[in-house]
Amino acid sequence: MMPPAQPLAQPSPAAEGVAVLDDPLEQGRFTRWVAGPGGERWAESSLQLAGLHCAACSGIIEQALGRVAGVHMARVSAAAERATVCWDPDLTRPSALIAAVRRAGYDAVPDAAAPARALRLQLQRQALWRLFVAGFCAMQVMMFATPSYVAAAGELSDEMRRLLNWGAWMLTLPVMAFSATPYFAGAWRALRTRTIGMDVPVALGIAITFIASTGATFEPDGIFGHEVYFDSLTMFVTFLLGARWLELRSRQHAAETLERALARLPETAWRVAADGGVSAVSVQRLHVGDQVRVPLGQAFPADGVLEQGDTQADESLLTGESAPVPKRMGDSVVAGSSNVGAPVLVRVLRVGGDTRLETIVSMMRSALTQRPAAARVADRWAAPFLWAVLLLAAGAAAVWSVIDPSRAVWVAVSVLIVTCPCALSLAAPATLVAAARGLARRGVLLQRLDAIEVLATAQHIFLDKTGTLTEDRLQCSAVLLTPGAVAQGYTEASVQALAASLASWSTHPASRAVADLQPGQTDSGDWQQVHEVPGQGLGAQDAEGRAWRLGQAHWAGAQAPLPAGAQTPLRAGAQAPLPAGAQAPLPADARLVLSCDGRLLAGFVLEEVLRPGAEQAVQALQRDGVTLRLVTGDTAERARQLADRVGIVNVLAAATPEAKLAALIELQRQGHKVVMVGDGVNDAPVLARADASLAMGQGALVSRCHADAVITSSRLLDLVSARRTAQRALAIVRQNFIWAGTYNAVCIPLALVGWLPPWAAGLGMALSSLLVVANALRAGR
Amino acid sequence: MESLYVLIPLSALLVLAILGVFGWAVHKGQFEDIEAEGQRILTDEAPAVDADQDP
Repeated sequence: MMPPAQPLAQPSPAAEGVAVLDDPLEQGRFTRWVAGPGGERWAESSLQLAGLHCAACSGIIEQALGRVAGVHMARVSAAAERATVCWDPDLTRPSALIAAVRRAGYDAVPDAAAPARALRLQLQRQALWRLFVAGFCAMQVMMFATPSYVAAAGELSDEMRRLLNWGAWMLTLPVMAFSATPYFAGAWRALRTRTIGMDVPVALGIAITFIASTGATFEPDGIFGHEVYFDSLTMFVTFLLGARWLELRSRQHAAETLERALARLPETAWRVAADGGVSAVSVQRLHVGDQVRVPLGQAFPADGVLEQGDTQADESLLTGESAPVPKRMGDSVVAGSSNVGAPVLVRVLRVGGDTRLETIVSMMRSALTQRPAAARVADRWAAPFLWAVLLLAAGAAAVWSVIDPSRAVWVAVSVLIVTCPCALSLAAPATLVAAARGLARRGVLLQRLDAIEVLATAQHIFLDKTGTLTEDRLQCSAVLLTPGAVAQGYTEASVQALAASLASWSTHPASRAVADLQPGQTDSGDWQQVHEVPGQGLGAQDAEGRAWRLGQAHWAGAQAPLPAGAQTPLRAGAQAPLPAGAQAPLPADARLVLSCDGRLLAGFVLEEVLRPGAEQAVQALQRDGVTLRLVTGDTAERARQLADRVGIVNVLAAATPEAKLAALIELQRQGHKVVMVGDGVNDAPVLARADASLAMGQGALVSRCHADAVITSSRLLDLVSARRTAQRALAIVRQNFIWAGTYNAVCIPLALVGWLPPWAAGLGMALSSLLVVANALRAGR
Repeated sequence: MESLYVLIPLSALLVLAILGVFGWAVHKGQFEDIEAEGQRILTDEAPAVDADQDP
């Protein structure tokens, strides 16, 4: 393999980032080695595609890939938006494959999740086959069982009954030996760890029913009587597998959506060699002491110190602090924060697991293992239920062995059959799956079904500020003109236009907020000598040679105080709290000024933009009696200001990830269940430890991966509707439990006294399962 | 009625055979991309030609 490092004069991230894929280290993530027909060593790479709009696109991409010299085979699946390419490592390289796809007008990124997907496919096929075997056999068994239901007394000869029973037994064998194995395996696992899950009573019920029916088939005069229950048994297993299949599908759907979001080009760093040449390398190849160039807008690849240049770092994902932090030469920068000031040169101090980012991630991992166990609803009931049933059956056998020894075993078996926990074991999973599907349609992807219960019952919700309640951008809410500017004939409109056209030269968040004052403006004015001073502002000359500055007050040459009472709200509802005095107590970095030849003309008030619907969502949640708490790493002042805007009383500001976690654990220790809604890396530990966690769809990857649910729409109102759906689902689960409990309460005494005819027991078992499933489907609406 | 003694075991065997065929189809991935087969006719690949016809 060719070493990827080639000196590049001017690295352009879009084209050259691909070259990193040729690094064997990165290649291994999406490529496996296969033997060609002649025994040669071929590579098989998985790519995730973007831009496909119809099935015909797959043909175009296949042809484009096939034309690359060295590609033996390219297969594109339009439905999955994925390509598998078989290529010769001597003739081509992965970067050439991606380049070919891009030339064809589509985009491709390496697909590192291919092995996980292959495993999922395997699971899915296996589950589908199990379900089919159970369902098909259940149909046939029902056919064999029909004569004994419809025949009048004496119409069916004993011979014929035995033959039909034998046929039903024969077709129940595959169900028992193949389809029902997950339940036996689950029960065995539970028994070995000395816990009792729902699988134990299910497995016991299935096994007892099968043994009793088998005994009745081959020895009709034996202790098990002559009634068989093969039809109820196979139908029950089919229902259970059907619910399990739906659950698997919705879980896999969530995983796939997440993987799609996760696939991207590997992290690239621009390493500066001793001779000054710059090469694109994988972040994993960085060493301590390397010098890297960090272009504007990219993330710092490792912890380090600034060697050349001043800039600003956006650390909001790591700390929650919303304003960019100024960094001068010699200051340290943190991996994962992004460079928003100017291109700089950084000396690497820590790489990989030592970086601050990785420390937070490992903190999250440990928090995840300590999360309070959310016992599954059904599992909580399983143990008492099982013991009650076993005691009743044993008691009945004991009593009947005194009254009538010949009926003792028969009654015990009929008690076990009638209580076979079909409805009970279907009640929760079927409902939760239906609810998860309903939520997915509304833009909330569940990754853990148990979260529904917590979401419905939790009375405390922690909300992150930056990225969760607010969007990532700033907005200019007011423009203030100085008396001098008014005297010179400037108006708000003209100042806005001037500032916006100057600001459109910069990509700094504050500049973008000012530039947005004139949206759609393409004319950038006739500015000359535009220069950006990191951390300070923008300077330029206009056509008449006057020097303009837009930036921080002290830099833009404005010692002169800002005017009083010249406030102009830009939009309804924006109440920038402007004081009567000149020294506005607004945070210095939330304000920009515009000056001309050192004379102050205007000031701009900047504030964070609330997500649409944030206020309504907060109000709706508080109306439902939920205690909301704003937890943020941002300053107390900014947090308080925002909390007042949306109406949250409880604020925890300037909090590190550790402090957030401590606040959460404190609340959990008091016995409360806490839901966390966040988006950043700094929220990840809290998300992991919370009883239920929701991540915003645009948040950091690490948060999305480990949250119980992802709000893909990033609409906060979806949180409210998700909570309502969860509450309705929980109510339905309760109804199902009440039904199953009533059924058992009525039938068990009948079975105990030997009054329940076996056919009625089987029918009751099937009907109660049907009722429970039908009720569960309501949760998805 | 005697024919039932043959037919019932036969039907049981038939069911087992159908299960086997279905298992084969599932594991071959026949049910995974149902849409694509219908749209294959619309792609501009070279049309398939019967062996006894000239291309």
